[in-house]
Amino acid sequence: MYSNFTLSISAKPWLLAFGLFVIVSGQTFSQYAGYSAVADLPSFRKEFSSKSASVTSIQSSFTQEKVLTALTEKIASTGSFWFKRSNKVRIEYVKPFTYLVVINGDKILVRDEQNENRFNTKSNKMFQQVNRIMVDCVQGTILESKDFSTRVFENDRAYLMEMTPSEKTLRGLFQTIVLTVDKRDYSANTIEMNEPSGDKTTILFTDKKLNTQISDAVFAF
Amino acid sequence: MRCLLFSIICGLLFCCISDYRHLQAAQPDAVCTDRIAPLHIETAWYDASIDVMNNHISGLLLIKDMPDGSHRIVFTNEVGVTFFDFGFSAGSFKVHSILSQLDKKPVVETLRKDFELIIGLPFQKASFNRYLAGDEIYFGVTQKKETAYFITSKDCASLQRLELGTKRKRKVSVRMPGSGYPSPDRFELEHHTFNMKINLKRIPKE
Repeated sequence: MYSNFTLSISAKPWLLAFGLFVIVSGQTFSQYAGYSAVADLPSFRKEFSSKSASVTSIQSSFTQEKVLTALTEKIASTGSFWFKRSNKVRIEYVKPFTYLVVINGDKILVRDEQNENRFNTKSNKMFQQVNRIMVDCVQGTILESKDFSTRVFENDRAYLMEMTPSEKTLRGLFQTIVLTVDKRDYSANTIEMNEPSGDKTTILFTDKKLNTQISDAVFAF
Repeated sequence: MRCLLFSIICGLLFCCISDYRHLQAAQPDAVCTDRIAPLHIETAWYDASIDVMNNHISGLLLIKDMPDGSHRIVFTNEVGVTFFDFGFSAGSFKVHSILSQLDKKPVVETLRKDFELIIGLPFQKASFNRYLAGDEIYFGVTQKKETAYFITSKDCASLQRLELGTKRKRKVSVRMPGSGYPSPDRFELEHHTFNMKINLKRIPKE
């Protein structure tokens, strides 16, 4: 009885300190464990813009995972990714389905297992916005986008950009888009698209080759 | 004038001919219905496409068999954006989410009926009317102005297709090439009163 009482008295300051740490760390680091807020945002924007401009091409594999949180279901897909500055993107899903998207300026080619469509992004506002996000994320101009408010965090290896849509159509599609960028070469590591329903899609880029020669034929259609 | 009159009469006759005129009412067959009625579908992801009036949408479709016996159907595009998320249970239907571009009453109603047929909802708690039709047997469940059918071979060995129709008009048919319920490999749904098709191909589990 006595020892229990002593324990409860002596444990109180630690419990209080732990409680305060949880509250404070929760506010400071938000949901991004291991990351802290970037202090000087204007100079980060400047540096990010100039460093990412030096990436002229990316060739990469990717793994995408869509998680339906409420239904405890997920599906993974894999494929290849090409980017060439500026405004040229090719995303080719190969497993477990085949699907191809090629963006070349304002033109888009979409090919699934049964059909092929070519159209101009200007004819479809939603496609234009999604196209813009994709290109902005990989070529490092997403911080200049007026469609999002952005918070930036960092750890010793990566920057994390949490983008919250301010535009109505995008708000219906995404709650946030979270982009992580490798500090060594300013290339995208992951893109996480969080939907208002709580579902999310994460794209993880692997085997990245930067600034290699990629033929324009890869993006031709 | 005679020509016009003749055309009108022909048109009236043609539109009055029922797609189901060949059905002959027969005695119920509980042995067959207990064995083959599409009452249960297992959870699976499908590679999906919807073609409506020359518009094509493709993506991934989840049919989720929920623990309480209800079903959820979620259709996303390949990149991960959710087009719609519908909940189905006996007597109720809920739109959990839908893209604003698709959120039109005729669109939602059409998709609701199509997917109710695919998950076999009309056949859940029903007594089936049985009809003979050549080499096939129709088992029908009447619901308001429409009847949902599952159609078997004459010997009840295989499920041929599903249909939804009014008294006179076949409106929707669904074929299931490959393995059947509870884990169909494919669904080929076709509307017969306007140009719309839904194709689903099951994605094998890793």
